[in-house]
Amino acid sequence: MEKVISMKDIRKWYQVGENRLEVLKSISLDVVEGEYLAILGPSGSGKSTLMNIIGCMDHFQEGTYWLTGQPVHELNDAQLTHLRNQQIGFIFQKYHLIQKYDVLQNTMMPLLIRGMSRKQAAEISMEKLTMLEMGERVHHKPNELSGGQQQRVAIARALVGQPKLLLADEPTGALDSATGKEVLKLFSQLHKMGNTIVMITHDLKVASYAERVIKIVDGELYENETFDSETVTVCKEG
Amino acid sequence: MRFSEILHLVWLNIKESKTKVLLTSLGVVVGAATIVLVIAIGHGGEVDVQEQFKTLNVGAIEVSVSTSADMADQMAGGMMGGFPGGMGGFPRSGGGSGGSLRPSGGGGGGMGGFPSGGQSNNFTQAQRGVTLTTTDVSDILSLVPNVSSASLISSGTGAVLTDELDSETDETIVGCLPEYQSISNLTLLAGEFFTDDDETNKSKVAVVGYNLAKNLFGGAYAAYGNAMTIEGKTYDVVGVLDSMGAVSTGTSPDDSIYLPYSTAQKYVLGNSATPKIVAIASDVKEVETVMANIKAVLADNYPKGNFTLTDAGSEMEAATTSANTLSMLLIAVAVIVFIVGGIGIMNVLFVSVKERTQEIGILKALGSSKKEILMQFLIEANMMGTFGGVIGVIAGFALVPVVRLTGMTVEPLPVGGVLALVFAIVTGTLFGFYPAYKAAQLMPIEALSQE
Repeated sequence: MEKVISMKDIRKWYQVGENRLEVLKSISLDVVEGEYLAILGPSGSGKSTLMNIIGCMDHFQEGTYWLTGQPVHELNDAQLTHLRNQQIGFIFQKYHLIQKYDVLQNTMMPLLIRGMSRKQAAEISMEKLTMLEMGERVHHKPNELSGGQQQRVAIARALVGQPKLLLADEPTGALDSATGKEVLKLFSQLHKMGNTIVMITHDLKVASYAERVIKIVDGELYENETFDSETVTVCKEG
Repeated sequence: MRFSEILHLVWLNIKESKTKVLLTSLGVVVGAATIVLVIAIGHGGEVDVQEQFKTLNVGAIEVSVSTSADMADQMAGGMMGGFPGGMGGFPRSGGGSGGSLRPSGGGGGGMGGFPSGGQSNNFTQAQRGVTLTTTDVSDILSLVPNVSSASLISSGTGAVLTDELDSETDETIVGCLPEYQSISNLTLLAGEFFTDDDETNKSKVAVVGYNLAKNLFGGAYAAYGNAMTIEGKTYDVVGVLDSMGAVSTGTSPDDSIYLPYSTAQKYVLGNSATPKIVAIASDVKEVETVMANIKAVLADNYPKGNFTLTDAGSEMEAATTSANTLSMLLIAVAVIVFIVGGIGIMNVLFVSVKERTQEIGILKALGSSKKEILMQFLIEANMMGTFGGVIGVIAGFALVPVVRLTGMTVEPLPVGGVLALVFAIVTGTLFGFYPAYKAAQLMPIEALSQE
């Protein structure tokens, strides 16, 4: 299967005075097409930094990173911006919908940024919003929706561009448990439809929905190849 | 992103913050309105000067006999120009007395003409009893190079009666040579100016100013061909002047009666009048030389004479410079207003960037380029400038009648509106650039992490 993510010895650190604060220590990670991966880690483990790097929103000092065959480590800011728009669908913990835009305008944004016509973007967006049962709310502003509904809009926005990778950062973090479960079921459905999903979470229960879980601790990855939601055991990779 | 979509996003933002946009644009509104008014006032000043000096020939030089009062002024550095006479204006000098004539301001220092600024050349010795004559005019014309024409002129008031009037009325009487018409750019509504023959024969013919024709005969055209009595003598009205409007100072040609010099001298003004000579330099660049030569000719004719020579060009230049200085001052004020308005836009946009940091982060995460973010903010600033500019220009033009109530001459120009709009747009764009640039440079993760 085609590799969507291929990271080799990624290292990132911050220079604090004379000290070097290592956030990611030689991370290597492969994610193939159609995979549903959860990266599980506590606060301060480096999981957000890793997510930002996977999402081409942050730089790293060492290593190589290929995203859908593109050498991220060689690309400049403008190329990374383009890559984000073309290949990645973002789902954030706090939805990150633009409050002054209505549901449809928010959903259309990735397509409009690509230069698609408003009409065509609206058609595609309507299709995704209808699929996510938000077709009746297209002209509502985000603050007129519940958390779960806002997250559905965010998922629709992530899907409209048919990205190679859906990158979700704590997607249930701001939702109650029932709504969170619904969103996770939605993720499972999207996975079954062939989408590649990488989900960052600190919650073991949330991670258990993924088919593969990797734990990150102090900037290092640990993988349990046969993840069992009832008996989570984490062992060091290799 | 398509440009139309960027515009759409800008529109959505403006729609969401109408009050803020309105208040931000206020500085630009004031600036644009100021520019429109400043240019209107500046142009009004120029029009004023042109209007006041319209009967003047730039090459005109006025020669008058100085009095001791003039001398005192000169010695005190007064530089008062030296146009005596209630007639004011350059060629229309007055003074003199005689008979029933009531001299209007004649002599020195009365100053119909211009304030300081003209070139005055004075003989050092005053002499009483010096009177300029047609011989002096002939000498100047024949001996001084680059003089195209010259005329004697003398003025005062005389009792006038027409069929329309119940009783006599005192009006300004100007005696001059026929050349004075072209020297003073006097245009006729009806009839003709008097001729050399009239001057030679001391004909009792008169040319009446526009307003006076209406007052004395009930209408400008009614005056033409009619008769009037001045100081008991009957005159034929051979011409009526076009309306000339206001002049710089003194009496307007609209309110004067012009007689041949010899006629006026004999029947109205008398021998004690103080005539002047107005000469026209054929080349404006030669005015100074011509003045020196006239002075030399008069010095020869009147060794003990004392004369004041003033040229119209310098006076006009001084008045125009004054008007221009005022314009520049007002423009400086307008520019300051614009800068203040621009700083207002910049501040509001900085706040806006701060408020919308997360939005910028989202757009960048979704793939909006730096250029698109920059464009969005820049267009927004530009829109505020344009909006403020349009409102300001409308307000500026609307305020013109209000400013006119103060008595100021205000002449709005379309170019003022265009300039104000351009200034407004440029201000909005320039001052909007830095906040827009800062927005474009935001890192997506940092922007997203801000609440």
